[in-house]
Amino acid sequence: MNAPVLPPKLPGVANKLKSTRKAGKLVNEYWEMVWRAKEEGKLVCWYEGSAINPFLEAADIVWVHGEAYSAMLAARHQEGPAQAAAEARGYMQELCSYARTHLGCAVSNQRNRNDADAGFTDIPEDDDIAARLPAPDMIISAYAYCSTGQQWDEMTSRLFGKKIPIFNVSIPWIWASGKDAGYCRGTEWEETSGYVARQLEDMVKFIEERTGKPYPWDRLRWLMSNVKRASELRLEAMDMCTATPAPASFFDWVVSIAPINQLPCNESIVDYFTSVRDEVAERVRTGEGAVPREKYRLFFDGIMNWNKVGWLAEKFARYDATVVAGRYTHMAFWQEPDLIDANNPVLGMAQNYLICPNNHSSPILVDLIMGLCSKYQVDGMVIHASRTCRAFTNPQFLIADAASKRLGIQTSMFEGDVVDESFYKDELVNTRVEAMLEAIDARRLSAA
Amino acid sequence: MKRHVMGIDFGSTTAKAVILDLDGNIVAWSVAHMGAVSNAAVDQAVGEVLAKSGLRQEDMGRTVSTGYGRRMLDIADRNFTEITCHARGAVAMVPDARLVIDIGGQDSKTISVDANGLVAQFAMNDRCAAGTGKFLEVLARAMEIQLEDMGDLALEAEEELKISSMCATFAETEVISLRAEGHSKANVLGAVHQAIATRTVGLVNRVGKKGPVVMTGGVAKNPAAVHYIQKALGMPLILPETPQIAGALGAALIGLDEWRLELGRDGVQREEDYDVDAQMAFDKACVTGCKGNPVDAKVAAPPAATSEPAPRVGKLKSVMGAIQKHF
Repeated sequence: MNAPVLPPKLPGVANKLKSTRKAGKLVNEYWEMVWRAKEEGKLVCWYEGSAINPFLEAADIVWVHGEAYSAMLAARHQEGPAQAAAEARGYMQELCSYARTHLGCAVSNQRNRNDADAGFTDIPEDDDIAARLPAPDMIISAYAYCSTGQQWDEMTSRLFGKKIPIFNVSIPWIWASGKDAGYCRGTEWEETSGYVARQLEDMVKFIEERTGKPYPWDRLRWLMSNVKRASELRLEAMDMCTATPAPASFFDWVVSIAPINQLPCNESIVDYFTSVRDEVAERVRTGEGAVPREKYRLFFDGIMNWNKVGWLAEKFARYDATVVAGRYTHMAFWQEPDLIDANNPVLGMAQNYLICPNNHSSPILVDLIMGLCSKYQVDGMVIHASRTCRAFTNPQFLIADAASKRLGIQTSMFEGDVVDESFYKDELVNTRVEAMLEAIDARRLSAA
Repeated sequence: MKRHVMGIDFGSTTAKAVILDLDGNIVAWSVAHMGAVSNAAVDQAVGEVLAKSGLRQEDMGRTVSTGYGRRMLDIADRNFTEITCHARGAVAMVPDARLVIDIGGQDSKTISVDANGLVAQFAMNDRCAAGTGKFLEVLARAMEIQLEDMGDLALEAEEELKISSMCATFAETEVISLRAEGHSKANVLGAVHQAIATRTVGLVNRVGKKGPVVMTGGVAKNPAAVHYIQKALGMPLILPETPQIAGALGAALIGLDEWRLELGRDGVQREEDYDVDAQMAFDKACVTGCKGNPVDAKVAAPPAATSEPAPRVGKLKSVMGAIQKHF
């Protein structure tokens, strides 16, 4: 028997949106801005979780979203030094890898400062962009559901000698157990929304204390008008993917997370999503699909494997499977723009923070996901169980069970992680996905 | 005309091969154990099954492979995942089966099967061999006993101990520690098999517990594993006579479907000459376990089929025609 010969590198099959290439340029420009912050005398705020960046941008504070930095490192396959630094400092591999990677950046910062508490003294390499992240002048913790996220900010503060002021915004869990409760409605919803909105106003006072200037509300209103419009365009484009073949895939929406979630909220995000919407509309008109031969339509539950975005996009395309929607892309990132009153945005912002996909009780979460599966006429569900993200994985068995019992959808689960590649095993994914597709084929045949 | 097909299960610790005739009868089968994924094991399994059957590889009309090494086989015409093949093979062995528990060398899987014999849901162990044959091999070495003696000895357990480790390697550490404390081999082995049962029931719960339950894979030959799993499940396990070959059998059956379609009634490959959908409605074709026996139809036969009885091969041809539409 011949030893297996590695196949030659094949040309890409996934038909990615061309307009999303602009996201890369915008993201690079944004991070360059972050890296220049100290030279330009700007204040820097580190935050995780909820997208409070418009509040910071309005006040001319440079914002650093921990998950976004970790995801960027993983997407560039440069997460290794940060993760190694964090582990050397004592942060174990089972910790949320977003947190571990970002904390590794803080540790690298300690090294740069030659801080005796850093644990080691060697200077980071010049190309180690983990070490380029500027130290925070403030930390704002506004994390829905996940307690790791809240503690992450405390750990960051300790790495900077507990001298960085922290402001905490509590984002309560939405139980939705009252008689009038439901998605974005009911007494609990109204009261909790008000509670978060009041805290955001207190947060603005904290920002004023840091900047020493009155808060520029007009600027926030303008920024949020752009966010609202960008979100509307994004949702319009996503809705068009109910077409067959679907013109764009989950992976296109993943690439579009940065523009909606963390980039400067100026006209560039409106322009970006306008071009995305227009390209999707054109593909619907011409019948061009996100994969050349769409045979299967899949839902992706779970956070993205940031080290594997392109890899997974190609893999599913080669299976003739369009991943048409996902919890991470379709149930997050300003997904309810109608809640935002651009003239008075704080309440709408509070409400969008509350509907983080991890912050619902399971009945609501499952209903929303089943609704998406029906809307996009999904044949199967691929569930990515992130090894280090319990928040996202907690309800996944419930989701799989509901998909099977309510909609008769085949599901397949594989373990991976958000930014730690060592938890991903390609052959295990292949076997599970192929088995699911074979089962879908057998059912189609039986139904024929 | 080639009158046989082969299924090969290129597993993680053993290679299995099955040869079927055109009637779906098992002509020969073999199991080769050579350690980890091994070309040599597959060569041995294939060599043995050919020798037993008195056939040559060139006599095979179709060869279908499964298992983790399924893509590595030059001689295979097609490959399917072990989930599909194990379900197919298990249902062929036990036609009413609704749940398949397969515990092999390095993986364990549970497959719920619907009333039509199709895979409904499946679950597999992730990244860890705890609860699999490898787990038992590691512990057999630690206990200094033969693998094949473990089951009988474990059934002699009189005291309930607990192995808490989820990791096959750390379970070895626990076993050594329990032995050092003076616990008997039998009691320790009882705990080992209880751990396997606990892991297995966890997988069963993910796909839903529904009988009849059939157990396949090499660990099905371990009487203690069967005992403890039955006890934990609260349901009897049906044990086929040759549980290790379920995957290879399922692969061979899939190959048989394809080969019969290609052959046609007179041994000549035919083009489709009638409405496949109408013929399927007439034949009420099934997929899993189908050996080509037409089922009396309750709908009016399509005009093309009224001039002569529906051929046995035609039914499978209509099935495979539909399969080809989908693939």
